[in-house]
Amino acid sequence: MIDPALLVCRLLLGLGAVLLLGYGWLALLVPRPLDFRGLEKVALSWGSGATLLTLWMLVLTWLGHNFSLPLIIIPPLALTGVALSVKKMVSGGSRGLSPDETPLTPAPPSPFTDWDWLFVGLLAALFLFATFRAALYPMWAWDTIATWGCKAKVFYQSRGVDLACIEAHNYYPNLVPLLLSYLYFCLGRVNDHLAQGLFPLWGALLLTLLHSLLRRMGLNRTQALGVTTFLALNGTVFVVHLYIAYADLPLAYFTLAAAGLLYLWLMDKAPRGGLALAASFFAGLAWCKYEGPPLAGTVLLAAALTLAWLRPPDLKSRFINLGLPLLGLGAGYLPWRLFSAWRHIEIGADHVHSLYPQQFLQAFSYLGAALVDPFYFGFLWPGLVLALIFCGRSLWRSPRLFLALFLGGNLLAILVAYGVAPTSAEEFPSYIRNTLDRLLLHITPVAALLLGEGVKELGGGPGT
Amino acid sequence: MKLSQTWRRWLIRLFLGLWGLQIIWLGWFFAPEVQDLAWRLASHRIGAAIRQEDPFYRWLLVLADKIPPQATYVFLDNYEAGKEIEARYHLTPRRHVLLPPAVPPDFLFYALRQERASYLIIREGDKSWDSQEAVAQSPAFRAVPVPGPGLLFRVDYARLLGRFYD
Repeated sequence: MIDPALLVCRLLLGLGAVLLLGYGWLALLVPRPLDFRGLEKVALSWGSGATLLTLWMLVLTWLGHNFSLPLIIIPPLALTGVALSVKKMVSGGSRGLSPDETPLTPAPPSPFTDWDWLFVGLLAALFLFATFRAALYPMWAWDTIATWGCKAKVFYQSRGVDLACIEAHNYYPNLVPLLLSYLYFCLGRVNDHLAQGLFPLWGALLLTLLHSLLRRMGLNRTQALGVTTFLALNGTVFVVHLYIAYADLPLAYFTLAAAGLLYLWLMDKAPRGGLALAASFFAGLAWCKYEGPPLAGTVLLAAALTLAWLRPPDLKSRFINLGLPLLGLGAGYLPWRLFSAWRHIEIGADHVHSLYPQQFLQAFSYLGAALVDPFYFGFLWPGLVLALIFCGRSLWRSPRLFLALFLGGNLLAILVAYGVAPTSAEEFPSYIRNTLDRLLLHITPVAALLLGEGVKELGGGPGT
Repeated sequence: MKLSQTWRRWLIRLFLGLWGLQIIWLGWFFAPEVQDLAWRLASHRIGAAIRQEDPFYRWLLVLADKIPPQATYVFLDNYEAGKEIEARYHLTPRRHVLLPPAVPPDFLFYALRQERASYLIIREGDKSWDSQEAVAQSPAFRAVPVPGPGLLFRVDYARLLGRFYD
């Protein structure tokens, strides 16, 4: 009994160290961390911590050092501590407050309504199930065994990013496998069921982040909780990804953080330093999965098009500021590409010859069906159509355009990707069935943001 | 778009109603998983114990005992069966090379020599495979008796000519 309890403690300490590292980074990037609510800080710290820690592990291999727990965790924590001390000295220990500013006094918390309790209860039940389901069953899902979990095990056994013994999409970015292998170092062994507990935590942080973004967009607590629960308990895809070790849920988290923070910035509602913080999530996007850089590109493109369309008075400086997330994207993308070139890891490429109209049309019907079939995402995408109707003309006259462009652009990109996919006619339907739900999962949390705008437009919701 | 209060309430109720049904359906959909989870918790059959229920996994554990960690093996199976990825996962850090059962003997021998593979694993020992006879006749292969569904051969790859289409 002592051994399992000790293992759980080691796992929690390992996860806590990632959060601490991420919080240090957040405190470095934003002038005033007090601008963030407690849980919001946790949700944002996680992504930065995971990105930094795993990039550091890549650097360790590059420098020729074998992984060990002290070498993985102490240097980045120490460096962050030093950087924070330097920041404090430079800013004179004022915690970022300029003389004309007063600290935020948080409004007294209002009591929970019955609806709030219902939503919290539903989410608690979901995460109770997902956590047990993830942490008590060994890794079993296809891509977990074939790619992410397998790489994690290999990294742990070889004590480095060494893929000599397997051929498992070796060119894929390694944030998730490295984070899992870090947990194996924390646990002192390969324990793939306990390490799988990472994924319900990631899902919970995604939902916390969504809730925080919705609150910053102006939704009240009940509305924000309602939309968050609506995302979590709608269809099977999100629920299943809470307990399988795929990289799609982390990618959805990074996409939400990058797009959400950029949206707040476009609305002038971002906390100070929000764009710098967004940059670290762009890095996470690129380092998390192969689809990350194109997704990040569409976020930036949608932001640039929105600015060009809305033409705010400070258009030029805003365009220049978009360079910051672009830098983040480069910081997440380049290390792995350079490492791959150095190690002669062959970058896989689909041999795209031309657009196959038949596939494009087939993909169109599959995509349409997946968007309305309650099995996948429930009523979330139909709800989004209603939200777009409620938003009406404001869609063209406000930064909401950014969310619509991002979602529309990605749906189109999915169709084009299937249209040029070099698969045989027999394989094509199963190829779509095996990938479409995951591609949609990446962007569905951002769809929930736009849904939140629709709820705000309705001015109501349950209990109002 | 401005909606009247009545319409707004109607829409919200409709959506909440549909969502409520959806949540009930989700509960029904995941009920078998919840049941299995509860049963496993009650009987303490969790974690690694779940894997032990799978005969294929138990066979892989036996193979892991026979094949040294630094060795390379060729696994003869169809990728689509999904078993090869399990073998690769459980047999790491042993180097893994996948070939289909329909591979002709000359290519199999070439691959074994080229990859310096010391072991050949056939997942479905009771089914025929294209190189079966050539392997049985070649002195480079020695069957290793292993209880389980598949076959294991020790390969002396240096004794294979390994010339492509020789």
